[in-house]
Amino acid sequence: MLRPLLSVAALELRTRTRDGTALVVALIVPIALATLFGFALGGDDPPLRATIGFVDLDRGEFSASVRREVMSSEQLKGMLTLRDLPSRQEAQRSLDSGDIGSAIVFPQGFTKSVGAGAGGQVAVLTSAESPLAGVVANAIVDRISSVVDARTLAVRASLAYGVPGDRVKELVERNGAAGPGLSLADDPMEGGKVDLSVYYGSGMAALFAFFVVGASFRSLLTERRQGTLDRMRAAPIPRWAPIAGKALVGFGLGVVSVCATWVSSSLIFGTSWGDPVAVFALLVAHVLAAAAITMLVASRAKTDAQADGITMVVSFVMAFFGGSLVPLYNLPGFLQKVALLTPNGWTSTGLVQLAGSGGGLTTVIVPIGVLCAIALAAGGLAAAGFRKGLLG
Amino acid sequence: MTATLACAGLSKRFGDVLAVQDVGFAIEPGEAYGLLGPNGAGKTTTISMLVGLLKPATGNVLVCGTDLAAEPMAAKAKIGYVPQEIALYPELTGRENLRFFGRLFGLPRRALAARIDEVLDLVGLSDRADGKLGAYSGGMKRRINIGAALLHRPEVLILDEPTVGVDPQSRKAILDGVERLVADGMALLYTSHYMEEVERVCDRVGIIDHGRIVAEGTRHELVAMVGSADTIELMLDGDVDGAFDKLQALEGVIEAVRTGTGSVRLLAEGGRYVLPAIIAAVDGRATVIAVEVIEPDLEATFLHLTGSKLRD
Repeated sequence: MLRPLLSVAALELRTRTRDGTALVVALIVPIALATLFGFALGGDDPPLRATIGFVDLDRGEFSASVRREVMSSEQLKGMLTLRDLPSRQEAQRSLDSGDIGSAIVFPQGFTKSVGAGAGGQVAVLTSAESPLAGVVANAIVDRISSVVDARTLAVRASLAYGVPGDRVKELVERNGAAGPGLSLADDPMEGGKVDLSVYYGSGMAALFAFFVVGASFRSLLTERRQGTLDRMRAAPIPRWAPIAGKALVGFGLGVVSVCATWVSSSLIFGTSWGDPVAVFALLVAHVLAAAAITMLVASRAKTDAQADGITMVVSFVMAFFGGSLVPLYNLPGFLQKVALLTPNGWTSTGLVQLAGSGGGLTTVIVPIGVLCAIALAAGGLAAAGFRKGLLG
Repeated sequence: MTATLACAGLSKRFGDVLAVQDVGFAIEPGEAYGLLGPNGAGKTTTISMLVGLLKPATGNVLVCGTDLAAEPMAAKAKIGYVPQEIALYPELTGRENLRFFGRLFGLPRRALAARIDEVLDLVGLSDRADGKLGAYSGGMKRRINIGAALLHRPEVLILDEPTVGVDPQSRKAILDGVERLVADGMALLYTSHYMEEVERVCDRVGIIDHGRIVAEGTRHELVAMVGSADTIELMLDGDVDGAFDKLQALEGVIEAVRTGTGSVRLLAEGGRYVLPAIIAAVDGRATVIAVEVIEPDLEATFLHLTGSKLRD
């Protein structure tokens, strides 16, 4: 049983290595492209430096609490500078001249209004020239809003239950709606610390895995054309041996390709893709899914040229929507959801989690599971297609 | 005696087309059986069912008594199949091609190496075995194509058009080799467009047309089916309809068929001697511009049974 499988696999490996395509597609091109992209676009994001204007027309507890929290935040130290400005107009002028990147404006009577359960609005001024400063200011105001909402709700509830107005503040703070305090917990942006060379390295590995495994299944159609597939099928071997033999080689070369791209990226750029065991497992699962999808293409294609064309289109579509060509966080929100329909999307997400969080195998158990499920579904459809077509 | 290859009731349908219908025959050890039929008659479909590439809708195939459907591995191990096309790897050498197919038939490594040398000697390519197949001539490729089916010493050899596109020297080498194998006791199923090859190699012939075996027997038996009548092909000019009526009524003419606007085919006893009467019969109505008398042979039988020439 095993001998015909190994005979077919040995011939496939010999053919692939002899004509040089395996070396070029599996090793040279993905490594070269990953390296070029890494040098051209890689490296850490430039350090964030933002000056935010602070217009305190309230002079109350709330605004003081925000200033205190921002200044004492370890996370924002060295990144964020608060500049006091006397009025909203002055803040706008400074923003227009580029002196500040954004501004937060506390209106007069803000603390009092929140304390009375009437809520309040903090304004944020942003500039297109300093998007990062705008993001930070908005994030701070989002936190303020949630505190204000909680406080307003608590005060309204107390008043509704007949608590006298002069006792509401003390009652609310004693029962947990802790004053106009603001806390900024550590919550780094996911993927924020991942070097771009890791993105492009893993992207090229994921893309070329399709081409590498696809070439083996394409050769099934070439063999049908030249009659050697029928000759194999007329021999006393299991029906699945020709497909399994080629799948074995395609999968093996795919794993070698992704691992070579991973190792070369790590060595050239000195970056880590994360826990090696988890990275290897994720890459193997990706190659498995790519093998099943390209097998499905071969099972439905009529000629080897048609299989080539479809594999090319499928590979690039999966690569684009799956974040292999453009990092996922650069894609619009709905495209980030579309990415999860592709194996590349799950591989990319998993690798970003591994590189960013330093987690192990359990961190990527879901992506690996999804990739295996994709492989199972596509492989099942491919087997049905082969039974009707090539092996029918 | 158990037939080496026997099939019965084979049929296969592709959509609305019934490609093969109730085909059956048996080949004994040391017997060469020819399957003749025009293009699209069902030869390749029949062969595909005999070697396990297609599942028949009905019927069965027995190889040395082993049912191909029930025990495909055991049955296939006794068949040597030579497809119509050169089903080999052009980037490998002749020896490497033989080694690959020998391994698929489970030959042990050492025994395979020796057997490859024997087969290369048999097909006369020992001195070219280590050249790339892509650089071989058409005839040399055909010989390796046959050699790959002989490695495992099959009980029955199935040759589908083995001499298409080969030079006369290679054709002779192939036919000589095939005859030796049959003389040594191997059963042979042979299809070819070349009637003279079939007449030379085969002991019995089955004629297949529109998916059915329409006649079967030795060459002598098949030729006798059309009797001693000769076929006369006439090209006429003038009142062809009137001339055709006269020819139908002519003494000695068994059958007359219009094969075109100006052509008529006659089946007549002693065709050469009827010719003066034919010319006299059409005189005044049409002029005979060409005439061909075909004496009974396998080709004539084939023509009679299928209505078309083998190489149409």
